[in-house]
Amino acid sequence: MKEIQRVSPVVLKGTPVKTEKRDNWDVVLEYSGETEGPVIVDLSHKPRFDLQDGNVGEKKPFGFDLPQTPGQSVFEKGILANRMNGTQVSLYNLAGGEDTPDDPGITDVTEATLFIALIGKEVFSICEKLSALDFEDPNREVPFLFQGPFSHVPCQIVTLCKDGDNSGVVLTCSRGYGRDMIHSILDAGKEFGLAPAGENRFSDWIKSL
Amino acid sequence: MNRFNHLPTLKVDSASKIAFVYKGKKYYGAKGDTIATALFANGIRIFSRSLKYHRPRGLYSLDGECSNTCMEVDGIPNVRCENTLLKDGMVIKEQNVKGSAQNDMMGFIDKLDWMMPAGFYYNTMHKPAKIWPIAMKQIRKAAGLGTLSPDFDMPGRYDEIYPTADVVIIGGGPAGMTAAIEAGKKGLRVILMESRPWLGGCFEYRSREYQNRQTLNERAHQLANEVNALDNIRVFTHTSAVGVYNNNLVTGFQIGQEEDPFTERYLEIRATSIVVAAGCIERPLIFDHNERPGVMQAACALRLAKTYGILPGKKAVFSVGHDFGLEAAIELHDLGLPIACIADIREDGQDPFLMKRIQAKNIPFHKGWVANTTHGQKEVKAVTLSGIDGLITKKVNCDLLVASAGMTPVTGHITVNQGKLCYDSHTNFFLPKEMPEKMHAAGTLLGLTDPVSIETSGKLAGLKAAFDCENCSIKDIGDAKKELEALPGPARGSKLVTAPVQGRKSFICFDEDTTIKNIKQAIDKGFDVPELIKRFTSAGTGPGQGGIPGHNLPLYVAKYQALQDISIKPTTVRPPLVPTGISTYAGTNHKMFKITPMDDMQRKDGGIFRNIGVWQRARYFSSDLSCKKEIENVRSNVGMLDGSTLGKFRIHGPDALKALQRVYVSDMSKVKEGRIKYSAMCNDDGCVIDDGVVVKQGENDYYFTTSTGRAGQTVEWIRYHTRYDGWDFSLVNLTDSMGVINLSGPNARKVLEKVVDIDVSNEAFGFSEYKAFKIQDTIPVKAMRLGFVGELSYELHVPSSYMKAVWLMLKDAGQEFNIQNFGVEAQNVLRMEKCHIILGQESEQRTNLLDVGLGFLWDRSKTDTKTVGTVALRQAESDQSRFRLVGFEMENNGRAPRDGSLIVDTKVRGYVCTARDSFSMNKAVGMALVEAPLADIGTRLEIFEDECGDERIYGKVVKMPFYDPSGQRMKM
Repeated sequence: MKEIQRVSPVVLKGTPVKTEKRDNWDVVLEYSGETEGPVIVDLSHKPRFDLQDGNVGEKKPFGFDLPQTPGQSVFEKGILANRMNGTQVSLYNLAGGEDTPDDPGITDVTEATLFIALIGKEVFSICEKLSALDFEDPNREVPFLFQGPFSHVPCQIVTLCKDGDNSGVVLTCSRGYGRDMIHSILDAGKEFGLAPAGENRFSDWIKSL
Repeated sequence: MNRFNHLPTLKVDSASKIAFVYKGKKYYGAKGDTIATALFANGIRIFSRSLKYHRPRGLYSLDGECSNTCMEVDGIPNVRCENTLLKDGMVIKEQNVKGSAQNDMMGFIDKLDWMMPAGFYYNTMHKPAKIWPIAMKQIRKAAGLGTLSPDFDMPGRYDEIYPTADVVIIGGGPAGMTAAIEAGKKGLRVILMESRPWLGGCFEYRSREYQNRQTLNERAHQLANEVNALDNIRVFTHTSAVGVYNNNLVTGFQIGQEEDPFTERYLEIRATSIVVAAGCIERPLIFDHNERPGVMQAACALRLAKTYGILPGKKAVFSVGHDFGLEAAIELHDLGLPIACIADIREDGQDPFLMKRIQAKNIPFHKGWVANTTHGQKEVKAVTLSGIDGLITKKVNCDLLVASAGMTPVTGHITVNQGKLCYDSHTNFFLPKEMPEKMHAAGTLLGLTDPVSIETSGKLAGLKAAFDCENCSIKDIGDAKKELEALPGPARGSKLVTAPVQGRKSFICFDEDTTIKNIKQAIDKGFDVPELIKRFTSAGTGPGQGGIPGHNLPLYVAKYQALQDISIKPTTVRPPLVPTGISTYAGTNHKMFKITPMDDMQRKDGGIFRNIGVWQRARYFSSDLSCKKEIENVRSNVGMLDGSTLGKFRIHGPDALKALQRVYVSDMSKVKEGRIKYSAMCNDDGCVIDDGVVVKQGENDYYFTTSTGRAGQTVEWIRYHTRYDGWDFSLVNLTDSMGVINLSGPNARKVLEKVVDIDVSNEAFGFSEYKAFKIQDTIPVKAMRLGFVGELSYELHVPSSYMKAVWLMLKDAGQEFNIQNFGVEAQNVLRMEKCHIILGQESEQRTNLLDVGLGFLWDRSKTDTKTVGTVALRQAESDQSRFRLVGFEMENNGRAPRDGSLIVDTKVRGYVCTARDSFSMNKAVGMALVEAPLADIGTRLEIFEDECGDERIYGKVVKMPFYDPSGQRMKM
């Protein structure tokens, strides 16, 4: 019997030096020669859920209050909850490890999208080459959600930090766009030295927020 | 030519040489040169020939206001050489010449101008009408600027950015910089756009005193330093704003410097407020031969010396209508340019300080005089001056005539944003009368000439912009307003448009060779407003985007018609206000297509991919586009198709069933657990828009598929059609979440049973049944027994990340049967043989459920909810005029017609939906939508194909399906 392996929609050119097998995913923890510059991290293995309910604002699938206003996000207990509209919330399990919450309104959509993080000072310079959305809007408190075009593709993008070197966003879009989305992001980031990084870099960043 | 190298205003480094090739010969320019200044420094005076008359043209504005210096650079025609920085190794050629710009064989046309009055081609080349196509070809051969091969590959990297700002400032001169500083100090995000490669505007190259012995040039640097010190001001130099749209969307393009990673990049900026401080250009003075090389504008002559270190001539005459012209004469005189005389259009109103300096330097000065005509074959050798009434004349030898009638405000950014202009008799400008919301004007475009006034207007505009962003008090604005009111206001403008000449060779538009005489001809023919005259004479329709004639045309039209007031408006300007290549607008142009999880593996297996909607799919697996082997393999063995592009959805919640009942024509309450329900959706007209299968996953929980093309709209479709019901259900698009493998063929079961642990026998897993199970206790699979291709088939829905694993398992298991891939085209033929329809292929917008024979899906007894489209279907039921879907085979073993071919007799009676040479049937068969009278079995169909002339091919209506009519093979 052959070993079953899951395949991420994200392919990053780099040499992994530390990897980990997790739920049949080969998760890259660290790439060779990771730089201090802006990085892209594949998080497609992190569980993601769609929660829909007429009273979604009153739900607590992970034990904390969900954001009440569309566009607002909340990051608690390793879960990033993003209010999409009056009845819908997207949930990204950035910590990983938890089972799907037992709620009939929840659908596991991990497979539906690619999931990446872009971290570093130049992240917004890269983003503005691909989207007209204002990820640095001074009037919005982090974390906040945008649902809109990024490289012409409908995406969910959450600004988690807009503070200099620590700036960063996470982005999801339809899994099928994986090849072209990553190509366009890397192409836009070329002038800024955008390079792949492993999950460890992401975990350190998340802890620092 | 020796160049100045000591001036503080210089932007070139004469010590750093840049080599380039012009007409096959190597030349050198200095670092910082534009192509035009480098050529000028090397003694080139004639850059091109004009569009119509092939008149020699030279350096005139330095800001690309006309096509005089458009040349072919590195194979790219129409490069604006005044705005394009010189780069090492550039190869520069003249364009629009037969021979050379110096000796153009087409130059004789200039003498035939009498044959070409305004609109001559409208008047002369349509009688008889057959002349027109011939004449048009000849005119097009003779005219045009440059040539470009259709397959020319534009070199360079073209980028794009979409920044957001609180305030965008158009123009990096003193007013723009002051506005930026004011808004920046308030903490706002400011973007400053400047078309030149540096900030400074009209201060940058001038040595006149600003205040306290500080020169304008020094002041420009001081302001630029203040701008650069504020982190929240983003400066884009060498960036032209080309459009302003609703809600303050500003578009532009930036030309990359050597260190930039882009050649040009497109900018699209969203702003809360806009300040327009784009300044002024010079209004050309119109006289005979006013565009002869050697005639140039005052700023052009001055900037050549002060910015580029090149003396513009050996002996100059000035014919100007403003103090800036006098200032330029004095500065150039001080730099060593002999000045024969200054002819000032104005009788009075000159700045006394400048007049004193002119007198002190013994420069002959004539008030109320103007250049009347220039002399010289190809370049200026002398100029005849006259009084503005033309009574007395005087000829003066010179090689440079600096000519400028006045100033023209650059208001395009205001008018494209629907601002209104109105003639102002004091400045002789068309000034903004109504500014668009949250847009403010500042600087010289308001007619201000006093340096402090210019800056203060910028300050006021910056504060108003801050107010728009809710970041400034009314009091601050009031204070700035008072400050500005205490300073000198707009200067009086010169009103003269033309010298006292007949105008046969007085050009109002250089790009289109339009003369004053042409304008008179147009007016005499009854074209009395500039908009009409522009179209009849082409004035202002060239690459200069109306820069040269934009202001003079309405003034002249008013003057020639002796209008009491100048109610005439300038012609409409439209984006792009500054021209650039289409490549810049194309940007990086990433192709964004979706791929399935099996994309890579199918490519390795020889898949030939096609773009189908948003997806890229494997259409063929060999160069045989008939797919014979793929089809035969499915019919006799087993094949695998990647069907991942199917739309896939989960609908759940207490009212999920009601929602399904609303959009599907069938009674969805009959969906049984473990069974598949095939149904279709219609629009309100009863036209079929989608089909797919529905399975029940649990209580109030369904999984359904849609066609590939409809997947993107399904959620909105269902939400829209239930919008007033308040039903409680949720929809999740799982299209990308699940991959789909279609395992088809008589050996499909033998392959599948080697991979899964469940019983897949016909008894345990029959046709039209659904099962959910796991492979190796790990991979969740939703399996459906379907028969789209007419064979034993299993449709396996697998989480996308596991798709490769399952695909490989099936491939391994199928190795002993020689399992093969099959692509979309093979599937198309297989299902066509079985007469299973594909919506979009066997239907179009007007085709309803009944037309395509799917009426059996419609359950008329549903009472719980209204079903979308059923009202229209009831009406259509008795309509005998509608098309019917029929099967046909070709006569005499003929070939299949092309898809889309028409069914005809004396009229069009229908069309072929899909037809192929069927390997399973050994004959050509197809499906067509035809009028009802042609739908009877045995009816002969006459088929008209594109470009078939009088030839027709024939088929006859036969029973459907063609293949396995009893359906045994898919139920085996």
